[in-house]
Amino acid sequence: MQLLPEQIAKALVNEAFYSRRAFVAIFVVVNAVMLPLGLMWPKVYTASTSILVDERTIIQPLMQGAAVATDALDRSKNAREIMFGRKIMDIILEYGGWLKNNPSVEEREVITDGIKRRTVVATVGKNILRIDYKDEDPERAFRVTEKFAELFMQESIMAKAAESRAAFAFIEQQTMEYQEKLTRAEQELKELRSSNLDASATSEGEVSTKVNDLRSKIESTTQELREAEAKETSLERQVSGEAESIADSFREGQYRTRIAELEAKLDTLRLSYHDTHPDIIQVKQQIQALNENITAERGRREQASRSGKSNESVVSNPVYQQLRREQSQNQGQIEALSARLSEMQRQLQSEVTRGKRIHSGDARLAELTRDYQINRDIYQDLLRRRENARVSMNMDRERQGLSFKIQEPASLPLAPTGLRFWHFVVAGMVFGVVIPLGLLLARLQFDPRIRVGSEIASVHKAPIMVVVPHLWSPVELKTLRVELVMLMLVVMGTVGVSAILSALRVMKVL
Amino acid sequence: MSKIEKALNKAREGGLMVVPRTGLPVPATGTSVVTHRSANPESIARMAANEVKMLAPADLEERGIIRPQRGEDPTVQVFRELRTKIIQQAQGQNAIILITSVSPGCGASFVARNLAAAFAFDVGKTALLIDCNLANPSVHQMLRNASVPGMTDYLENPTLDIDKIIHPLGIARYRLITAGKRHESPEELLTSGKMKQMMDAVRRRYLERFVILDGPPMSKPADIRILSDLADYTLVIARYGRTTSTQIANCVGAITDKKLLGIVFNEEPRIPRLR
Repeated sequence: MQLLPEQIAKALVNEAFYSRRAFVAIFVVVNAVMLPLGLMWPKVYTASTSILVDERTIIQPLMQGAAVATDALDRSKNAREIMFGRKIMDIILEYGGWLKNNPSVEEREVITDGIKRRTVVATVGKNILRIDYKDEDPERAFRVTEKFAELFMQESIMAKAAESRAAFAFIEQQTMEYQEKLTRAEQELKELRSSNLDASATSEGEVSTKVNDLRSKIESTTQELREAEAKETSLERQVSGEAESIADSFREGQYRTRIAELEAKLDTLRLSYHDTHPDIIQVKQQIQALNENITAERGRREQASRSGKSNESVVSNPVYQQLRREQSQNQGQIEALSARLSEMQRQLQSEVTRGKRIHSGDARLAELTRDYQINRDIYQDLLRRRENARVSMNMDRERQGLSFKIQEPASLPLAPTGLRFWHFVVAGMVFGVVIPLGLLLARLQFDPRIRVGSEIASVHKAPIMVVVPHLWSPVELKTLRVELVMLMLVVMGTVGVSAILSALRVMKVL
Repeated sequence: MSKIEKALNKAREGGLMVVPRTGLPVPATGTSVVTHRSANPESIARMAANEVKMLAPADLEERGIIRPQRGEDPTVQVFRELRTKIIQQAQGQNAIILITSVSPGCGASFVARNLAAAFAFDVGKTALLIDCNLANPSVHQMLRNASVPGMTDYLENPTLDIDKIIHPLGIARYRLITAGKRHESPEELLTSGKMKQMMDAVRRRYLERFVILDGPPMSKPADIRILSDLADYTLVIARYGRTTSTQIANCVGAITDKKLLGIVFNEEPRIPRLR
């Protein structure tokens, strides 16, 4: 059954009264434990100092893109790393007087771990670093804290200087390397230019124009040559078809013309007359006579050719002569064209070769130029950075880059921190009441035995008739009175002891 | 507390400390008897006349019995409340009420003797407390002379008259029957016909008499069953910080629903006024 808060409270009061002796006993025991514990609890003194770190970052712009700005967390972590390094810890051990008894290596390790555990380094805000150190000895707490701050600042500045020195050295070395590379690239460029004088930037265009020109010329020449050759073939054929000389067939021609005329006349006459007509007979005769003349003419001509004798009637053929002349001219032209063509092809070949040479030279030139430009850019950049680094290094040397200022100096702690005696006194009183109450509450919650009357009615069908409170007899009351006085005395005695011890503690007797 | 009751208390304080055996009724009780019970006024008067030397307040407190004079005491008020509830339940009739505890040590005898006292507060009623816890009797301790004949003597001895075993305690209208001599087998005595006759006799003798049986704890279920049959009602006593819910459930299951009056939660701690 879930008890209501007021039921729990009532039951708690009843139970507390019922178990009053145990209650008081626990109160006394708790106080008896807490008071000696409080007396024996070591006093801890905390000294703290805060350092204003004004960091004008110099490496960051120097190493742009490569470095990341340190945040507050990193800073406290870095500070811990620096402070808890062997170098500083050794100085602290010496300074704090821990080495007086010549501790062994293991003991030193234990002491060092203790110091580390008692030291808290934290960042307050963005630029303030706070160092807290706890020690049982207030004097030592103060001195160690002060020394920690001093050593930390010293070490940080040294580390910073070393860092910028290293940065300068690195940039210096890089600059030298790039200078060398740049010189080498310049040299190579010079050599290439001198070895390829014709390989100027404009030669490539010229060569291509020339090659194109030559190609078109070759084409036209080839065309002309082909035409000439075709003409030659045609002339040859014509020459073979013509007689070298022609006979004087002029008269024969005339006869034949006359015969043809006469035959035409004869055909006309025959339309009107018979063959016996005198005109026809006359015409026939005339034709006969003419045929005879032709035969005679032919006989004379054959005779002349057989005898070989020049005959005034045999003459050279003029067409043939003409053809022969043309053929000769054509052959001359063919030879000239062929010679020109071969010359032009030779020129083309040489131009192509030259073009190729120019191309390869250009690629190399571009490569060298590119290398040269890159090297030059980097070199110039490095030169600038080197000068910055030099300035940074000088700044660090003169303690300009990172400045520390003690914001709040360590002071001698007067009052101990942490758990104090009065804490234990109060805790004894509070726990002395709370623990038995808690136990009673636990008993109320977990003990199956019934302590609240209404619980019965809710669980069982039987009604709860009455709840009978304890009937105190006069004898019981008398005993109770005595008992309560005793218990009161015990409680007051405990509180009194606590008060006396607290007073002694305040008076620094204890 | 009503004015009438206060007046009666005052009268009792003054006049009922020692009742002479003259048979004269006490003036304070006479009116009350008439108003409360018209049935048998003589019987109450006779009872009052038979009283022995009354117990002093210190004697009552020594015996753990409530006094009407301490009417402001919560324990007294609670017993009055219990009495009223039982009277309401009985609807004007007298009744035999068995008081049993869940386990030994729950204070059944304490409740029984005080419930009887609460009935005796009322001038119109009388109370008879019978010790039925034959294994562990306690009622005889209240008497000055503990070695008087009790219930077992009566049940075993046929010649013994019932009047011989009913003893006045020294409180007005309060009688008791002790357990008597120890007996080998109490169950047989309780189941005997004479036992039943005795119960009928004590009930019928005075109609205004409420009989309280101080029974054994529920750890003796046989006795309880027999006594429960004889009784009209049963009250179960549970004790603070001792009785568990399971024990109550077992007890409640063993008693007939009709007869189970309810549970009395006893001995709740109380911070007394110390002055």
